[in-house]
This record gives sequence, structure tokens and C-alpha cells, in this order.
Amino acid sequence: MSRSCEQATEQIYFYLDGEMSYFRRMRIRWHLRRCGHCDCAFDFEEKVKEMIRKKSRTEPSMELIDRLHTLLREEAGNDFDR
Amino acid sequence: MSVPATKARTSMADQANFEADAMQFAPQLYSAALRMTRNPADAEDVVQETFLKAYRAYGSFQEGTNLKAWLYRILTNTYINRYRKAQRRPSEVELGELQDLYLFRRLGEQSGASESAESEVLEQFVDGDVIEALESLPDNFRMPVLLADVEGFAYKEIAEMLDIPIGTVMSRLHRGRKALQKKLWHLAEERGITGRAS
Repeated sequence: MSRSCEQATEQIYFYLDGEMSYFRRMRIRWHLRRCGHCDCAFDFEEKVKEMIRKKSRTEPSMELIDRLHTLLREEAGNDFDR
Repeated sequence: MSVPATKARTSMADQANFEADAMQFAPQLYSAALRMTRNPADAEDVVQETFLKAYRAYGSFQEGTNLKAWLYRILTNTYINRYRKAQRRPSEVELGELQDLYLFRRLGEQSGASESAESEVLEQFVDGDVIEALESLPDNFRMPVLLADVEGFAYKEIAEMLDIPIGTVMSRLHRGRKALQKKLWHLAEERGITGRAS
């Protein structure tokens, strides 16, 4: 692993999270174009991030949604009474 | 002249519109609350309290700013106030040293030359695996990972929600992700989806 690979790996999350200046981003892109291993690693981490986003949702019950609507209407009714 | 007063008022949200504006976020707020509390009954309580607080404070919400982030800030505060303070054990847990690219490297060691094999393994993880891995993280690491990876908030927004410095968000997020990958690796090993010929 070269020094530029180490630098890229250290900054991988800043890159994937879009929390990086344009200049630094371009430097990473330049490295990824020339280094197949890092390109693969970045691609993999991006897929992990996407997997976490897609596979971690739980839908609420319809009862909860109904209860929230009721709660807000009661609250609005209370305001009206005051 | 009443014009300036009227002008000021129109930039604030109208409480009568709260239900129409905010209810669209209820499903994702519930899902986030469930990942925080790890218990459906507690998650429902947190979401209900969040909606009540948000409704009452809606007059102070600045229209045109990020409603989703505002609601998540209330959700996060509600959770922290209700549950984290009640915990006897210290909420600040440390994680051991973890290698960068944890899952990628473990999978690479198993699959040998094929570089597409790592991505194929990811497809075999089911929702339950990801949820279990996420919920296995200690609270102070789980929150940044949840807010960044699942909800897509920026570091600065997460720092404001959790009331911690942005540098702390970054280090917890990065370490939390590695710990999550380690957990995923263990789950993959248990279920025999690591690609290793056994």
C-alpha cells in the first residue's frame, strides 16, 4: 500500500459523505483512476452505506399514524377552546 | 403601519398547517426512533412526544428552512432526555481499535482474487442483519451512524442535533461504521455467507 493509498483510505468517509473540498475531491478521484484496489474499496464502502440506508427501515403500524392524526387534532381543538 | 409585522409573521410556519406539513415524515421518524430505543412501545412514545412538542413549537419554525432536520432535532432531544439520562450505566462507551475498511478486507481475505465477490456478499445481507448490526452499536456511536447513513444528514446538522462538536461527530461516525462492519462480518460468518469454502 503506497502513501497515496493510505491518504485516500484515511479520507474515504469524508469523500463518500460529500464533506470534502472540491480540490481534495479531485485529488482522490485522480488517485482512484490510477489505483484499481482503492477504486474497488471506495466502491464497496459506497455500497455498504447504501445498504445500511436501504435495509434498516421499519414501517410504523397504521394505528400509530391514526393516533398521531388524532393527537394533533385534539391538540388543535384545545387551542381553539382556549 | 402594520406591514412589517405581517411580513415577519408570514416567514414563520402556520400551526394550522402542521399536520399537512409534518405527517409525511412520521414513518421515517418512527423508524429512526425504533433504532434509537430498540423497542416498539418506547419508539411510539418518543414519536408521539416529538409530534406534540413540534406542533406546539411550530410557530417558531422558520419556513423555508429544513423541516426534516428540525423534526429530527426534536426527536433526538426527546430520546436523549427520556432514555439516555435514565440509564444507570454511563452512556459514553469506547470501542476498541478497529481496522479501516474492515468488511472489505475480511471479505477480500476469504474470496481471494475475485474483486466483485465482496459486493455480491452485501446482497445476501437481509434487513434483519443490518438492523441487528446497527442496534448492536453503543448509543454514542449508533446515533451518528443512524443520522448520517440512514437519514443522510450532514456532519454539521448531526453536531447540532446531538449537541457535540463536529470533530466528535466525525470520529464517532467513522468508528461506529467500522464497528458496524465488524458486526456484519460476524453475522456473515455465522450464516455462512462469507464466501469461504467450509
